[in-house]
Amino acid sequence: MTFKAWIKTITFYELAVGMKATMSHLLHYKPITMQYPHEKRILPDNYRGMLSLLRYDDGTEKCVGCDLCEAACPSRVIRVVSAEVPGEPTKRYAKEYYMDMTRCLFCGLCVDACPVDALGMTREYEWSVYDKRQLHLNKEQLLAIGDRSFPVREKQLELQHPNVAFFNVAFKHLPQKPD
Amino acid sequence: MTELSLRLAVSFVQILAEVSLVMLTVAIMTLAERKVLGWMQDRMGPMEVGPYGILQPLADGVKLFFKEDIVPAGANKAMFALAPMLTMVVSLIGFAVIPFGPDITLNIHGLTIKPFVIADINIGILYILAIASIGAYGIILGGWSSNSKYSLLGGLRSAAQVISYELNVGLAIVGVLLLSGSLSLVEITEAQSGGFWHWFIWGARPDGFFPIHTQIFAFVVFLISGVAETNRITFDLPEAESELVAGFFTEYSGMKFAFFVSAEYASMVLVSCVAASLFLGGWNAPYPGTIFEYIGLEQLAWIEHIVWFAGKVYFFLFVFIWLRATLPRLRYDQLMRFGWKVLLPIALANIIITAITVYLFPR
Repeated sequence: MTFKAWIKTITFYELAVGMKATMSHLLHYKPITMQYPHEKRILPDNYRGMLSLLRYDDGTEKCVGCDLCEAACPSRVIRVVSAEVPGEPTKRYAKEYYMDMTRCLFCGLCVDACPVDALGMTREYEWSVYDKRQLHLNKEQLLAIGDRSFPVREKQLELQHPNVAFFNVAFKHLPQKPD
Repeated sequence: MTELSLRLAVSFVQILAEVSLVMLTVAIMTLAERKVLGWMQDRMGPMEVGPYGILQPLADGVKLFFKEDIVPAGANKAMFALAPMLTMVVSLIGFAVIPFGPDITLNIHGLTIKPFVIADINIGILYILAIASIGAYGIILGGWSSNSKYSLLGGLRSAAQVISYELNVGLAIVGVLLLSGSLSLVEITEAQSGGFWHWFIWGARPDGFFPIHTQIFAFVVFLISGVAETNRITFDLPEAESELVAGFFTEYSGMKFAFFVSAEYASMVLVSCVAASLFLGGWNAPYPGTIFEYIGLEQLAWIEHIVWFAGKVYFFLFVFIWLRATLPRLRYDQLMRFGWKVLLPIALANIIITAITVYLFPR
């Protein structure tokens, strides 16, 4: 041990350095924490929150019951029961649509898989409940989440998948599949 | 009214005042520790109860009071209940000999009363040492009677730690006793009056300024051993959270848990009081006399003395928190090696050197 190191040891030099660090944090007090329920952090633009089902501006559901979201989901959150629209054999819709949000890992694959942009990820994240059965959502609940989170319905047309016209018979202004 | 009943009544009032002061300090400490620790770690600490969380000790007290009192299966019920009481009582009765104000005497119906010290006994500091070691019994009993391996380990660690560091505390104060020639805390404090250079940490002779009798090494040893004896970080091995859950009070809940925690804080306050009395001149101001005397209000000088004593005590309490915010926990062999191979030789050398200087340059 050199003389310098020895002096440092007997004068508790390292301790003094540490004490100085904590004291400087006390004197230049600037908290980096947030008082969560009172103030909330700004979410990033591509935040992936609660899932929801969307509608068109005329109120009809976008979902065509194709089951691709169910196939894409890695955690088997989604269950779709598809059915024909009564009287229109070419159109299908989701008769029942369930999401078990206790299993969801918010990866967004279902949203990517949807050909008609019927699924959306909202910015809601405060979904703590006392009974986990309340997280087993049906179609009406998912549509309600979509209604309150996306008041302006209908995404911009250029952002939509080119296949939208193929799947979605509601788009009259887009080129339709030839009969 | 007979003299005995008057004496009892006065003592009772004094004890009540002192205990409420100590418990108030403990309540302030529980909040201050969380707030200061938070500020040092760039957090805010408790903010919910009252403005800036200042009512948090009250909320904690209410919560602990209404908690279920759980006694573990296989626990020795009597000992389990005795341990927190023992720890609490022991850490409170040590304050009986602490002079927290000047040594003035009042005369009520032929009875001399010292308002700022409950019992001015002539072995004050020995009494505190004896009482402080009994506190370890409460911890060991609590650890043993819980019927839990973590509690037992915590209790045993506490026993070894307190034995090792009690010795250093005892040896560190010998220099002070040599200088003051008394064991009474009142007389030790009186011997340090007249400016900070007469405090034993500086240790000038009554007629000089040169620190010939300096006790600064004893002071450092005392402070470190005091931290160890109160089971505080960095020496909190008896309640090492990461190893022993919560150490000796793992199995305690409700008011018993509150007793242990407030006993820990009360013993911190006691160690701070003793350190202030022995080394930093107790209630003496760092300048000769008092400001109240200079401006002609000699009757109110005791206020200034008490403010200085409280200031010193709260400085030590802040140092306790500051250490906790800074330092990690020692390993067990480091703790033992530091106690026996570093602090003990320093304390012994300090006794020899002080004895020589006191012999050559008597006060």
